[in-house]
Amino acid sequence: MLISEQTLLVARYMDLLTSRQRLVAANIANADTPGYRARDIDFDREMARAFDQPGADPFPPIATHEVEGLRVKNDGNNVSLDRELQLLADTGIRFNLAAQMLRGNIQAVRTAIREAR
Amino acid sequence: MSLFSILEVSSSGLSAQRTRVEVLAQNIANAETTCAADGGPYRRRRVVFEAERRPVTPFGTGLARVVRPVDRSFDRETQGVRIAELRLDDAAPEMRYQPHHPDADVEGYVAYPSFNLVEDMVDLTAAVRSYQANLAVIASVKEIVARTIDSGRS
Repeated sequence: MLISEQTLLVARYMDLLTSRQRLVAANIANADTPGYRARDIDFDREMARAFDQPGADPFPPIATHEVEGLRVKNDGNNVSLDRELQLLADTGIRFNLAAQMLRGNIQAVRTAIREAR
Repeated sequence: MSLFSILEVSSSGLSAQRTRVEVLAQNIANAETTCAADGGPYRRRRVVFEAERRPVTPFGTGLARVVRPVDRSFDRETQGVRIAELRLDDAAPEMRYQPHHPDADVEGYVAYPSFNLVEDMVDLTAAVRSYQANLAVIASVKEIVARTIDSGRS
């Protein structure tokens, strides 16, 4: 089997990271929108779901929720640019790491094909 | 959900912030204008932002659908931003006694815009910062795409 379970998990991780990046982009774009509340995904729960149900659909829909504990400004907006920029950098770094792992997995398959020739 | 939709969201942020900067620059430039296009003193403009669900381009949707089914609920919840309206300030003008001014009224008073210029200058700094934050997101997405392509390269 070319795509191992581990590869699927890494792919799911990268998918979640990209979704989170998209939410960060939306939060940053709406940093000055009156009444807008910052949103995020429950990363731990989504990853736990991927681990617990290895046979199920590898890319189920992702649920988002409002971020708690953020200070609400006078116009009803609660986006913290500092938090969003930090998340942006954090997610980017994790994505690089995951891409490296994926690359390693793909290389392994390539090597196996090459060696078997 | 596709990566290109992130770029759409961020570019909506860039446009909105750039319009905000233009409006603020116009306010600052006209802080002392006594005779605007509509006759009276210049009236300050303010932008009002609004979250907006941007339709993903057909290319993005088509591409995503080929790879796997599109997650519609997530699309609905992540939103870009747009300028909802350009609000005119209706504060009473500031009257200064300058009888020799060409725009003076019969009693010698000239109507000046009454907003505080410093407020707009501070807002301008915040707008530039928001613009840069949106640029950072675009740079990050480009990096993500580059890394994804790299992972397939031998």
